[in-house]
Amino acid sequence: MSTQEEDESETDAVAPAGVDYDDIEGLIDEHVIDRETHLNAEAFVVRGDAVEDVLSTLKQEAGFDHLSSVTAQEYQDRYESIYHLRKYDDAQHEVSVVVPTPRDDPSHQTGSSVFSTANWHEREAYDLVGIQYEDHPDLRRILLPETWQGHPLSRDYDQDKPQIVTLEKHKNPIEDSLKVDETEEDLDTMFLNIGPHHPATHGVLHLKTVLDGEQVADVEPDIGYLHRCQEQMCEKSTFRHQIMPYPDRWDYTPAGILNEWSYARAAEDLAEIEVPEYAQVIRTMSGELTRISAHMLAVATFGLDIMGDFAAVFMYAMRDREVVMDILEDLTGQRMMYNYFRLGGVVWDLPEPREEFFEKIRDFLEGLPERLDEYHNILSQNELFQMRTVNTGYLAPDIAKDYGITGPIARASGVDYDLRRDDPYGYYENLDWDVVTAEGGDNYARLMVRMREVEESAKIIEQCIDILEDWPEDEREIQSNVPRSLKPDAGQEIYRAVEAPKGELGIYIRTDGTERPARFKIRGPSFVNLSPLHEMAEGELISDLIATIGSLDIVLAEVDR
Amino acid sequence: MASEAPLVETIANLLGLEGLLGEIVGGLLGAGLVATIALLFAAVAGPYMKRKITASFTDRIAVDRVGPYGVLTIVVDAVRLLTKELVIPENVDRPAWDLAPIIVAVSAILGFAVIPMGSGIHLADPDIGLVYVFAVSSLASLGLVSGGYASNNKYSMLGGLRAVAQNLAYEIPLVLTGASVVIFAGSLRMSEIVAAQAEPLISIAGITIPAWFGFVNPFAFGLFMAANLAEIGRNPFDLPEAPNDIVAGYQTEYSSVYFVLFYLGEFVHIFLGAGIITALFLGGPTAPITALNFIPGFVWFVIKVWGVFFFTQWFRSAIPRVRPDQLLDVGWKGMLELSFANLILTAVIIGVIV
Repeated sequence: MSTQEEDESETDAVAPAGVDYDDIEGLIDEHVIDRETHLNAEAFVVRGDAVEDVLSTLKQEAGFDHLSSVTAQEYQDRYESIYHLRKYDDAQHEVSVVVPTPRDDPSHQTGSSVFSTANWHEREAYDLVGIQYEDHPDLRRILLPETWQGHPLSRDYDQDKPQIVTLEKHKNPIEDSLKVDETEEDLDTMFLNIGPHHPATHGVLHLKTVLDGEQVADVEPDIGYLHRCQEQMCEKSTFRHQIMPYPDRWDYTPAGILNEWSYARAAEDLAEIEVPEYAQVIRTMSGELTRISAHMLAVATFGLDIMGDFAAVFMYAMRDREVVMDILEDLTGQRMMYNYFRLGGVVWDLPEPREEFFEKIRDFLEGLPERLDEYHNILSQNELFQMRTVNTGYLAPDIAKDYGITGPIARASGVDYDLRRDDPYGYYENLDWDVVTAEGGDNYARLMVRMREVEESAKIIEQCIDILEDWPEDEREIQSNVPRSLKPDAGQEIYRAVEAPKGELGIYIRTDGTERPARFKIRGPSFVNLSPLHEMAEGELISDLIATIGSLDIVLAEVDR
Repeated sequence: MASEAPLVETIANLLGLEGLLGEIVGGLLGAGLVATIALLFAAVAGPYMKRKITASFTDRIAVDRVGPYGVLTIVVDAVRLLTKELVIPENVDRPAWDLAPIIVAVSAILGFAVIPMGSGIHLADPDIGLVYVFAVSSLASLGLVSGGYASNNKYSMLGGLRAVAQNLAYEIPLVLTGASVVIFAGSLRMSEIVAAQAEPLISIAGITIPAWFGFVNPFAFGLFMAANLAEIGRNPFDLPEAPNDIVAGYQTEYSSVYFVLFYLGEFVHIFLGAGIITALFLGGPTAPITALNFIPGFVWFVIKVWGVFFFTQWFRSAIPRVRPDQLLDVGWKGMLELSFANLILTAVIIGVIV
């Protein structure tokens, strides 16, 4: 069962097999000013007026069809946008496009004409850092209120200056959208605010909806109600200990351990910290436990959205999730905010007596198939449920790719992309499990993918506890040696992602030689997954819109960060 | 309206009153008694039994803090709800806004006048009893739409419109299916419909099963049960107040007493629906086996009505809600045809055989 060839499963990121950066440079030669080496991939520095050209060449000719993330940051002498590209077919093929722009006029061409997902990423970059994207279709603030003064992640932003917005300006932030155009078309429709306080928006999500009867004519998510400056807080914290608690607060469903892993993976690659194999197995096991709990919550709340607030399946799934949370509490001492990972391993070993702990997990795994059968019985096999979910909220695979969708939603649209397999980390490579995909692309397929992923996670956990049980007692190394104060070399940049329950959770870190990151960017999968809501919901009924939000399984804490 | 009102006469005789005075006093007291029974059902169901039933479907315990098994929660909840602030939003269309909850509650209680509850509790028994009960219970949709429209809230408006569309679509199958029972019984008078079901259907080993229309025509029974779910707005047809799409539908803006009236009206409505089902299909207050007729009719009535209530709560926990378009599809394209078929078939069978 155990394989010992590779102590370190993280691969050397630069130039994996099949990527020839010189060839790629050849494609976009005329636009490249410079070339940088980031820890995850080579980065081409291009002129600000060639962004569209470069991105579309890379997309069409080099096959980089997945814009993972856009990071914006300000240096002493310039602003910079980084487009992190990869391939849906092979996630290890990565390339970055760096676009510098002068401090006095931070603006460059938008990438949103090539990748629709760039729309929201660039809005966030504009909002927080202050880069203007020329020809952007909709360059407005996205996380902060529209009346906000200044860009908080820019260097000359004065944090002490109070944000004074006159009452006049704040009287009715959506006044413009309320103006009724006296044309016939406008009189036929009704503007409806769904949220931020609404029973089915899964948090403080505000949807500006235009209804034609009960049909959704237009829907625009308004986010940022739960923005807690997580990126800035991480930038103010030290690598070694202070950052790790924050990821637990992103996706609190609770998928905390998988979130922690995203930071751990990026920082460990950055500081070249090796993780002992034993700790990797524990990480994999605990991570999959949180995936089960997150998916259970997704299934539960989706049942609630379809059935109404007395849905029995909600309580059933919560009851079963409670068992997982108990196990995680035994392991980490916490029910939601685990703070269990440390750079170089995990904080402590499995709880004693170990047999009891394994027994508890085995009991849970044994009962799981029966539980899932029950959910299938109540949900997926119910004709009324199928009437409601099949062929609603349809997301075509090419649109999913265009919007950078990842996770169960992409897999339900037939996009076979799972970082656990495609960009291996942890102990996943050595275990026997499958990536779940479906072809439907609708609300039903998304539910089915999640339920089948629970089965796969159970398979992974079962193998992990077999391995852990047989592990010799004197080789249980839970942490490698990591200096008390961690100061990675200056000028390093890395983008690393893990497969969180909602999809690709990526972290970009730039170092400046101190013990704190100079830039810490979070690519929340929920943020990206929410962006094509209009593609799925327009033309459908308001009930389908609610079902679609439910099947997207967004967590607003991760959307707004 | 020539009415035979056993309850009124009984009360008048008990008080020794005669003539008009006896009829008025007996009528008022009888109405009070019937309304109290209806409200009592709703009061026990709303804050208590609904929670307990849902809880047992979802593996929970529900209210158990106040009183034995938490029964006194009913009192606590009543006080809580009634002492809340009555928030009247700006620009609501009064008095339509104030009338809506009253209409909903009153229309449901009015229907109970003709429901035979057994043990002589039967306030009025007009010739057109069945028509009357359908007529008053459908008044409720007037309350729903006026509440939804007058609230000056878009969610309320959507809820009100959904309520009307739904009631239109489902009242016709409901009435048509009810009519098929009338063909069997040969009368619209509630007492005669109940009496027609007392005939023995079959006798097995000395146990005589009466000819309840639920046994005689189970198809009509199922159809009526389904249409009734839409009529009272319960899963899978709880769209007018579907909390997940449209917050709380027509009752979004109502609080305190008005909310209680809506809530109460809704539950009385469920029991009225249950009462109609009991009278039409479950033999009214008669025992399921003739041998058990020594148990008072009222007990049977309570058991049957609560059984139907239990059924609605079961659906609430287990069945997904349909979409508005699917609801109308099912109503107009499915139930309507089926209920016509049922009516015609029944008429043919009765006409040819009997």
